[in-house]
Amino acid sequence: MSPGPRQPSAATPSSIEGLVRRATPYSIAGLVALYGLAAAGLSLAGLSGPSAALALLVGLILLFAVVVAVVNRDARRVAATVERESRTVRDSVAWVRMALDHADVGMGIIDSRGSWLHVNSRLGAMLGRSEADLLATSLPAITAESLSEAITESLAQAASSPNGGWKAETLQVRADGVAFPVSLSVTPLGDGPAGAATFLVQEVDISAAKRAETVRDVMVAVRHAISTSATWEHAAPAVLSAMGSQLGWDVAQLWSADADVKLLRLRQSWQADDPRLAEFDRAAHSLALPTNSGLMGRAIQSGVPAVNEEVTPASESLIGEAARRAGLTVEVASPVTVGGTVSGLLVLFARGPRDIDSGVMTMLTMAGSEIGQFIHRSETTVALQRSEADHRAIFERAPIGIARISAEGELLEGNAALLMMLKHDIDTLRTQAWPELRRAYDLAAGRVNLPPLLAGISDGGSVQVRAATGDGRWLWLQMSAASIPDLKGRPEHVLLMVEDVTTVRETQDKLEESLSAQQRANADLEKLDRTKTEFLSIVSHEFRTALTGIQGFSELIRDGGLEADELRAYGGYIFNDADRVNRLIGDMLDLDRMESGRMSIRMADVDINEVLTDTVARAATASSMVEFKPDLDPRLPIVTGDRDRLVQVVSNLVNNAVKYSPEGGTVTISSRAEGGYALITVADTGLGIPPDEIVHVFERFRRVRSGAAQSIAGTGLGLTIVKQIVEMHGGKIWVESAVGHGSAFHFTIPLALEAATPSKQLRHA
Amino acid sequence: MPEGRAITVLVADDNEVAQRLCRRVLEKAGHRVLTASDGQEAVNIALAVGPDMILMDVAMPGMDGLEAMRQIKAQKPSMVVVIASAHSMAGDRERFLAAGANDVLSKPFRLNDLTSVVDRLVGGVKPA
Repeated sequence: MSPGPRQPSAATPSSIEGLVRRATPYSIAGLVALYGLAAAGLSLAGLSGPSAALALLVGLILLFAVVVAVVNRDARRVAATVERESRTVRDSVAWVRMALDHADVGMGIIDSRGSWLHVNSRLGAMLGRSEADLLATSLPAITAESLSEAITESLAQAASSPNGGWKAETLQVRADGVAFPVSLSVTPLGDGPAGAATFLVQEVDISAAKRAETVRDVMVAVRHAISTSATWEHAAPAVLSAMGSQLGWDVAQLWSADADVKLLRLRQSWQADDPRLAEFDRAAHSLALPTNSGLMGRAIQSGVPAVNEEVTPASESLIGEAARRAGLTVEVASPVTVGGTVSGLLVLFARGPRDIDSGVMTMLTMAGSEIGQFIHRSETTVALQRSEADHRAIFERAPIGIARISAEGELLEGNAALLMMLKHDIDTLRTQAWPELRRAYDLAAGRVNLPPLLAGISDGGSVQVRAATGDGRWLWLQMSAASIPDLKGRPEHVLLMVEDVTTVRETQDKLEESLSAQQRANADLEKLDRTKTEFLSIVSHEFRTALTGIQGFSELIRDGGLEADELRAYGGYIFNDADRVNRLIGDMLDLDRMESGRMSIRMADVDINEVLTDTVARAATASSMVEFKPDLDPRLPIVTGDRDRLVQVVSNLVNNAVKYSPEGGTVTISSRAEGGYALITVADTGLGIPPDEIVHVFERFRRVRSGAAQSIAGTGLGLTIVKQIVEMHGGKIWVESAVGHGSAFHFTIPLALEAATPSKQLRHA
Repeated sequence: MPEGRAITVLVADDNEVAQRLCRRVLEKAGHRVLTASDGQEAVNIALAVGPDMILMDVAMPGMDGLEAMRQIKAQKPSMVVVIASAHSMAGDRERFLAAGANDVLSKPFRLNDLTSVVDRLVGGVKPA
C-alpha cells in the first residue's frame, strides 16, 4: 500500500468539523473582549445618558456585525477547507476501495468478532461466495472447523493490544465445502465509527504451493520407506499411509494384477482410523476385480491415472457398493508399472469432494513407477536370495560329490559328500587328490572324444575314472562337468559332479564277464552241437556205406540162383563190411572213452623196440607185398607206458603204411632216444598225403581218399585214436609227407624216469 | 534175362563193394554197366560214352558226385542222373534234387529199388 492515500485518510469528516468548531470561539471571544474595553473607556470619560447608551448600542451593533463578518469569513474558510478536505477524503476512500477491490489477494475488513465489514471481489472469488453472502458471515465461520476457534481467540487478543497484527496459515472452507489452505494476515485499523476496533484481512490461496509441498513430502516419505525396506511388504504400510494421510485421503491401497492381467487383488492397504473404513478394507480384501471394467480397469487399460469423483455401485461394480457403504465417493487409480507393463494399481479413496490437480496425478504416476520398480527389484532380490540359498543347500547337502573348479583349474571348494567319498579333508583334496582326478578326467575324456575339463564353455561331459581314496581304496567315479559362464560368456568356473559308481561298475563288469562267459559257453555248445551233428552225419554215412554191401549181397544170396564162386565172393564182401562196422563201433567207443577221460592206461616199463619188432613180424605175415626195414636203436632205454596201447599205435601206423604202399614198397620202422623221449618213426614209400589234407590226417573220418588211396578201407578213426594214445602218454605225433614219395609218421614216448639220464643210459648200454 | 530195353548205366562210386553190387544187379537185369571211382572219372566217361543214365555216389575223393553231376548236366542237360548216397540225414534228398538229380536212391537200398528206378527213368519195361 502506497503512503499517499494513507495520509489523507487521517482527516475524516468528523475531524474537519471539529477543526471548525475549535477555531470560531477564539475569534468571537477576541471581539467580545475588544467591545468590553471600549465600553469601559466610555464610562470612564463620564459619558452617561442617552448618548452614552446609544453609543454603547451602536458599538454593540458594530461589534455584532464585525463578529458576524469574522464568523462568516471563518465559516467560508472552514467550509472551503472542509470541502477540500472531504474531497481528499472521498478520493482516498475511492482509492482505498479501488485498491481493495483490485488487489491480487483476497482482502476485507472485519470487526473484532471477525464479521466482514467489507470484502474485495478476489476474496469472494477465492471463497466461492458472493460479497453479500460473505458480508453475512465472519472470518471464523469460513475457517475450517478445527481452526475457527483459534481465529476467534487471535482476533480478541489483537483487539486488546494496539499493535496486535498477526499472520497465520489456516484453512478456509469454500461454499462447496472444499477446504483449502490460505496465508492469513490480520492488521488492526483502529476504532470504527461505533468506537469498535477494525482489522484489515488479507488472504492468499496457498493450496498450489501446499499441494506441491505435500506431494514433495509424500514422495520423500515414499522414497524413504522404499530405501529403508528390504521388501515391498515392509515398505507398504509406510508408503500407503504417507499417500493416504499426507494427501488427505481416507484409504490408500495397492492392488496387484495376476499373471495374465485379468484380475486384480488387494495386496496392501491403509485406511484412516474408522470402523466403516475397516469394514471397507475387509470387503476389498475379499474381492477379485476384473481388469476390464470400472475405474481400476480404465487405469489398467490406459496405463495412466484415472479419477472418478462420484463413486457409485453402478460405476464401480463390486467395490462401488462397499465404497458407498463406507461413505467413500472419490476414487483415484494410478497404475504401478514394472518395465512399462502394468502390474498393479495404487488406489486412493476419499469421502467428499477432493481437489485433484496435476501435481497429485504426477506424484501418483511417479510413485507408481517407483513402487513398481521397487517391487520388481525386491522380488528379484528375494528370488535371487532364495535361489542362492537353494543352491547352497544343494551343494552342501547333495548325496553326490560336488566341486567348484576355477577357470584356472584350481579346486575352489568341495562339498561334504565329496570329502566323505574320497576320504580327504579339503586341503589334501585340493593339493593331492584333485590334480590326479583332473588328469584322470582329461585322459578319460580324450578317450571318448570329449573336450578336456577346462576347454571353455561346453555342455560338459561325463566320464568314468578310477581314483584312489585317502584311505587307499580304489573307486570308480562318474564325473560330470558343467561350465558356468560369467556375464561376458567366458567360463567363470566349472561345476563338477562326482558320483561313486564303484558298485555299479563292478557289478556291471561282473555281469559283462559272466555274460561273455555265457556267450562263450553257448558258442562252445553250439560248436559241440554242430560237431555232434556233423559226427552223426559222418558215422551214419560210414555205417550205411558198409551196410550197402552187406544188405545188397545178402539179398542176392537170399534170392538164390548163385554159383558157388559167387556165393563165396559175396560172403567175403559181407564179412569184410560187417567186420568194418564192428571195428568202427570199437574205434568209436575207444575214442569216446579216451576223449571223456574214462579210458585208463596202465603205466609200466615197456621196451618199445620189442613192441616194434612184434608188430612188424605180424604185419609181415599178413602182407608179403611190402618190404619191412627195421632200424631200431639197440641202446634205446625203456619207456613208461601201456604196452597194449603202444602196440595199438604201432600196428595202426604200420598197417596204414602197408595199406597206402604200392606193391614192392618199403616200410621203414626206426627208433632212437632223443631228449628224454623215445622217437619212433614209421615211414613208407607210398602215395604220400597232399599238403591240403596233411593238416587233417589226425581228425576223425579224414581218410586220404585221393587217387589210388580211394579204395583203401578203414574206419577213418585210426589216426585220431593213435594221436589220443600218444598224447595220453605225454608224447607227440606228427607227419611228414610228399605226394608220390611217401609219408613218415613220427611219435615220441617219454623214457622211464630212472632211464632218462644219460649216465644210466650208458651204464645200461 | 532183361524184359525191357537194354541200356547203359554208369555206376560212379568210390566203394568197390558198392560198384560190384550195382554191376551184378544191373547186368542181371540186362543192362550194360560202366564204372567210375571218383567224380572226375565219372565226368570223363559220361561225356565220352554218353550212357543212358548215371548212378552217382556223392562222397567221393577229389571231385564229389554233385559237382560231377553239375558238370555233366552243363554239357548234356538231358542226361539222367540218379544220386545214390549213404547221406540220408534230413534234407539230404531235397538237397540232391535241388542240385539237379532226376531221382535219389538212399543207401543201403533194396535191389528192386535200383532196378525199378532204372526202368522208370529210362523206359525200361518191368515184367508184369
